[in-house]
Amino acid sequence: MILEGTFTFSGPRAVVWDLLQDPAVLAKALPGTERLELVGDDRYEGVMKVSVGPVTAAKFDVTVALKDKVAPERFTMQIDGKGGVGFTRGTASIALTEVDAQSTSMAYSSNVQVGGKIAAVGQRLIESVAKMMMRQALDALEQELRARLAGGAASA
Amino acid sequence: MPAKTRYLNARVVRNEDERLLTGRARFVDDVDLPGMAHVAFVRSDYAHARITAIDASAARSRPGVFAVYTADDLGEYSQPAPLLVPPPPIEDLIFHPRTHLPLAREKVRYVGEPIAMIVAASRYIAEDAIRDVVVDADPLDPVVDLEAGLAPGAPLVHEDLESNAAAHVVQRKGDYAAARARADIVVTRRLLYDRGAAAAMENRAVVAQWDTQAEELTIWDTTQAPIPIRNGLAAKLGLLQSQVRVVAPFVGGGFGPKIMMFYPEELLVPWAAMRLRRPVKWTEDRQENFYATTQERGQVHDAEMALTRDGRILGVKDVFLFYTGAYDPYGLTIPINTQCTLLGPYDIEHYDSTFTAVFTNKPIVTPVRGAGRQHGVFVSERLLDIAARELGIDRVEIRKRNLLGPDRFPHNHGIMFQDSAPLIYDSGNYLPTLERAAEMIGYEQLVREQAARRAEGRHVGVGVACYVEGTGIGPYEGARVTVEPGGTVRVATGVGTQGQGHYTVFAQIVADVLGVDVRNVLVVTGDTREFQWGTGTFASRGAVVAGSACHAAALAVRAKIAALSAQLLNTQPEDIAVENGRAFVRDAPDRGFALGELALKANPLRGAVRPGTEPGLESTAYFGPDRGSTASGVHAMIVEVDPETAMVKIERYVVVHDCGAMINPMLVEGQIHGGVAHGIGNAFYEQLVYDEQGQLMNASFMDYLLPTATDVPPIETDHRETPSPFNPVGLKGVGEAGCIPTGAVFAQAVEDALRDLNVEILEIPMNPNSLFALIAGAGKP
Repeated sequence: MILEGTFTFSGPRAVVWDLLQDPAVLAKALPGTERLELVGDDRYEGVMKVSVGPVTAAKFDVTVALKDKVAPERFTMQIDGKGGVGFTRGTASIALTEVDAQSTSMAYSSNVQVGGKIAAVGQRLIESVAKMMMRQALDALEQELRARLAGGAASA
Repeated sequence: MPAKTRYLNARVVRNEDERLLTGRARFVDDVDLPGMAHVAFVRSDYAHARITAIDASAARSRPGVFAVYTADDLGEYSQPAPLLVPPPPIEDLIFHPRTHLPLAREKVRYVGEPIAMIVAASRYIAEDAIRDVVVDADPLDPVVDLEAGLAPGAPLVHEDLESNAAAHVVQRKGDYAAARARADIVVTRRLLYDRGAAAAMENRAVVAQWDTQAEELTIWDTTQAPIPIRNGLAAKLGLLQSQVRVVAPFVGGGFGPKIMMFYPEELLVPWAAMRLRRPVKWTEDRQENFYATTQERGQVHDAEMALTRDGRILGVKDVFLFYTGAYDPYGLTIPINTQCTLLGPYDIEHYDSTFTAVFTNKPIVTPVRGAGRQHGVFVSERLLDIAARELGIDRVEIRKRNLLGPDRFPHNHGIMFQDSAPLIYDSGNYLPTLERAAEMIGYEQLVREQAARRAEGRHVGVGVACYVEGTGIGPYEGARVTVEPGGTVRVATGVGTQGQGHYTVFAQIVADVLGVDVRNVLVVTGDTREFQWGTGTFASRGAVVAGSACHAAALAVRAKIAALSAQLLNTQPEDIAVENGRAFVRDAPDRGFALGELALKANPLRGAVRPGTEPGLESTAYFGPDRGSTASGVHAMIVEVDPETAMVKIERYVVVHDCGAMINPMLVEGQIHGGVAHGIGNAFYEQLVYDEQGQLMNASFMDYLLPTATDVPPIETDHRETPSPFNPVGLKGVGEAGCIPTGAVFAQAVEDALRDLNVEILEIPMNPNSLFALIAGAGKP
C-alpha cells in the first residue's frame, strides 16, 4: 500500500522537526498508540491498537528505526509491526521544506505491506483506515505545534 | 432378477431429509465429550519466510492452556504427509512430490500454513494464546505467479529443487504437426481459467478421543474418505487398524477438498488426544477455510486448433501451466483431467498436450468439483467458437460436425486418464443431446431474432457448449447388506456422504433387488466400524462404484433368501419370488415367509449350519471397475448484457445430461442444479485474489462473492440415458456435471450478446469489472 501526500504546518521548520522526533508527541498524535519509547539511537518501540473493518483493536508491537536523517530536512522510517492478526512492514519518508518563516511543508510517502489475517479480511478498508489515521495524526500534530508556539502545554 | 423395478429411475423422496430437517443429524461439531479440549492454530502470516525462532513459553503459561506444540515437539511424528495420488504411468513424465509437514519447520511456504498447535480448555483461551506465541520469521521473496515462478533466478519454494517446476507431462497422439500443415485454418489463443474455493457450507472439523481402557481411538472427521484416513492414521500412530475408528457423520458439503488429505489438523488432533489422554476438538472457522483448506486455481493455456474449411477439427495443440500451490500431495489429477477432458465429445485425431505444474507460495491445490475438467472444456469450446466465427459456420453446427458418432464406442482416445487407465469412453450418444439442448433453449429462433433485438438496443446472447465427464473410477468400493430379524434391511458402505443422497440412492438399489419398501432400507456410510474396506467419495464415483457394490451385495442376499426359502418350502430357488417384503413360491403366494422371519430361520439356535452356507441373511460384496464411465452433456444459456454497467443477467439455463441409467432423477437434477450454481459462481463471481506478496486479500464472504439464490436462474433439465457397460446397473456419475462447461457457455453467450462490439472473452472468471474493461477496450487496437 502506497500512501503519499503533503501537509503544511503553521510553524517554523526547526520546531516541526523537533516535534516529529519526540516520541511522546508522536504517541499522542498517532491514533491507537498505547506506548512509544525511544530505545536506542533513532530506534523506537511501542504498541499500537488498530481497528480495520471486522478486525477490532488489533494490537501490534511496533519498532520504528530512523534512517537517512538530515536535520531538519528529511528522514526515513523503517517500520516493522507484528501482532496476533498479521504484520506490517515498510518504509515511510518525510521531507520538510520551509515555505516561509512561519510555515513548513511536509511531503510524506510510505510504502507499507500488510499481511496475515488483517490483510485477508480488511483489505478493502486498510487504505481508507490508513488515510484516516494519517489525517488524524497530522491534525493532532498541528494542534500540538500551535500549543507549543503559543507557549502553552508542550508535550505531556 | 426382481419381478419388477419399483424404485430405480423414480423420484423417491430422500430418506435422510427427516433427520436433516429436524436438526437430528449429527455433524462433527455436534460431538461434545466430557473433558474435551479445544484447539487453535498459529498460522503463518507470510507467504514465504524462514522461521528463525518460535517462543511459545508465554502461551504455555497462560491459564487454561494444556499444551502448545511446534514442529520440534512432534519428534518422529513430524513426517511429510503421504503422496495421495501417484502420477499415472506416462512416458518421460517428471514429477517432484513435495508434501506438507504437520507443522512447518524451518520454512513457511504459504499464508496460513500451521506453525504451532494450541490445546486449551476452551476455544476462546486457545485463540487468545495464539497471540502469546512469538514467531521470528525472515520474509523471503515469494513465488506468486506461474510464469515468474519458472523464470531463471526466481526464488525457490523448495530449495532442494532446481526450479519451481513440480511436474512436466507430455501426452501426444497422432501427428499434430502434419495435421496442422494440412489445415485450412489454425486458431491460436492464450486462454486463462481460474477457479476458487469450494466454500462448503460446513467447514472442516476433527474430534478425537483415546479410550485408555479399550485402547481405541475414535476420530470424527469431516473427511470424504474415512477409510484411507483410518488406515493412514493407524500406521502413523503405531496402532492396529482395528484400534482406530474414523466416523464421517453427516457432512455439510465436500466438493473435493475434504478428500483424504491428511491435513495437518487431521494428523495432529488425534495425536494430541492420545498424548493428553483427553478428547480434543478442532473446528475450522470460515477464514481458516480460505487458507487452510485446499482450493483450486488457475491455468494458463497457449492453445491452437487446426481445422478444415468446413469446420472439421484436425488436431489440437495445447501447452499449459498449472498452479499446484506450495505442495503437491494430490499429484497430477487436476492437470491430467484438464488434458483429457479437453478432447470432450469430439473426434480429435491429432493431439499434442504439454503441461508444467508450478510450485508457488499459495495454499495447496487439490480437486474442487470438476477438478480441472472446466479448464480443458473452456479451451476446446472457446477455440471452436472462434473457429466457427472465422469460418462463418454456426456454433451448434460446427459442434455437430465434430461429435463422435454412436458407432464409435468404446472409444479409445489413446492417452492416459487420471486413474492410470487409458482414456476410453465406455458409451455415449452425443448428437441427440446437443440437438435437444439447442431445441430447448430455442437456439435457432434466438439467432434469427438477434438482429431485431440488437436494433432495439438489447444485447441478448445465446451459448451452447458440450462436455464429457470421466466419472466412477476405481479402485473399488464394498457394501454389506443384512436383513434384520425385524425385516428391516441394513446397508453399510465405506464411502463418506456429504449431502448427495446416498441414504436414498443406495436404498433404492437394494430395495429393488430385495423387493422391500425403500423406507425400510437403512443405509450407514462413512463409519469404519461399520464397513472398513474402500476408498472414498470423489470423482463422481459414489453412486457408480459403491452403488454397484450395494447391488452386488443385495443380489447375493437375494440368492440366500431364495436358497433358504426353497429349502424350507421344498421347492427350487428359481421358483421363489421376493416381493413386498416376502419370499414365496411364485405359483403359490400363500406359501412363504416375511423376510424378517426368514432372517431368524437363517440364524438357528439348534441344528447345524451346513458346510458351504452361512448364518443370517447377510452378504458383503465389492465392485471395482477397470476404468471410469464417461458421462456427457450440453449446457445452453441465454444472457442479456448491459454494456454500460457490464452486468450480465442470465435469462435461461438449460442442461441436457446423460449419466447413463438414473437411480433417482430428482437427485440427478439436484446435483445439476447445485453444480450450475457452483459454475455460475466460477464464471462471474468467485475469485481468490492474491497480492504480489502472496497475501489472500478476500478471505471472507464479505469480499469473496458467492452467487446467491437471486443470481441463479431456474435450471431447465432433460435427460438422455446411455447405460454404461462397465457396471451392472448402467450408471455414470453426475456430481460434477453441473459446473464443468458453465464458464465456457457463459463466455460464449456473453460474447454473442456483445457481438456488435467485437468482444472476445478469453478469461474466466469474467466479473463485471473485467467485462467492463473488455467492453471499454473493444474495437481499440
